[in-house]
Amino acid sequence: MTFDRNEIAGIADEHVLGLLEPAEAAEIEAEMERDAELKAAIAASRDRFLPLDAGVEPATVDETLWRKIEAALPAQQAAALLPSANDNLKDGWRLTALSALAATLLLAIGLGWSLMRVVEPVVIAVLINDAGEAQAVVEDFGNETATVRLLRDFDVPADKTIQVWTLPSREMGPMSLGLVDKVRSVRLHGPTLPAPRSEQLYEITLEQQGGSPTGRPTGPILAKGFAKPAH
Amino acid sequence: MLMSSRPDELDVALTACASGDRAALRLIFDREAGRLVAIAERIVRRRELAEEVVQEAFIRIWTHAHQYAPERGSARGWIYAIVRNRAINMLRDGRREHTVEEVETLRETEQADEIMAAWHRLDRESRLRDCLGALDETKRHGILMAYVGGYSHGEIAGRLRIPLGTAKSWIRRGLSALRECMA
Repeated sequence: MTFDRNEIAGIADEHVLGLLEPAEAAEIEAEMERDAELKAAIAASRDRFLPLDAGVEPATVDETLWRKIEAALPAQQAAALLPSANDNLKDGWRLTALSALAATLLLAIGLGWSLMRVVEPVVIAVLINDAGEAQAVVEDFGNETATVRLLRDFDVPADKTIQVWTLPSREMGPMSLGLVDKVRSVRLHGPTLPAPRSEQLYEITLEQQGGSPTGRPTGPILAKGFAKPAH
Repeated sequence: MLMSSRPDELDVALTACASGDRAALRLIFDREAGRLVAIAERIVRRRELAEEVVQEAFIRIWTHAHQYAPERGSARGWIYAIVRNRAINMLRDGRREHTVEEVETLRETEQADEIMAAWHRLDRESRLRDCLGALDETKRHGILMAYVGGYSHGEIAGRLRIPLGTAKSWIRRGLSALRECMA
């Protein structure tokens, strides 16, 4: 496919919108590997239109879809399973944890919270959203009891509920602490779990009413954060 | 904008996928699968086909993760583009098992609403929302029908009752005005 250099931005947009004929689209995909300007134009166009997709109401997805994907995954060609792979992931989480830490400090200072408590939680996690805004606070008392306080009103459809999760360890996987129904603050009585640790992951997801049918998070993550020792 | 306000953990997850870490793919799934199914469904119109699209897309994300680099735009945009391409290919291959009438009914009734909803749901502060709003209605509608609903030039011309050549040039001019507005 030949095109005028002046038309690169236009072609990129039409490609991103899915308006090119399949053969043209395939050529553009191949061409962008050689043509940095075209590649940049496509990248810019994707990100320009992305908000139209990012704002979509998420579908409820269950565990079977993941199982189908996992069953079909080929081994990576470069599957050296470098230890750095996991470290990279942890780095991403560490960033989340750092923002959560900042939010924790702000809250602790601003509200003088833990000072007013009779029974102290073992850990506190401030859950933040993708934009880094604090959305909820979980206090885990470590005796099968945790409290969660939502810091804003979530738009929860009638057939959905907010579920609270924690990840005591990679081996255990995410464990449900309970549901938050139509209230902003609730005391949860969860299963018996190992004592909560510093840096333990907590998150809230949107699940179908009655909670996730699989016992694992299936809905979109509303917010997450890492625990800090409460004292 | 929401997605560019902090270092993107999807970016890190793709790197981890490339070196064989399945937990990283799972992280992408947990964060994005709900939205990706909904996006595919807006295009292919049926839930089970949308799941098929997302399933194939995740395999491709896994096998092509090593190709992702920041000069390809945001990690999220890269991931979403894979799903969009799969959905549009499925649509153009005619793999939807609907009769023509069924498709017409499904598309016309629900999809018109969804297409406009995608625009209305944009953040009020969003440049894209303002710039789409500044276009005249036919151009805006054509662009949204293509992006959100996966309509082809021919389908857009038919729905908007304008000749094919006119639809193509209006969309092209609309896209150009949009780029200028957002620059």
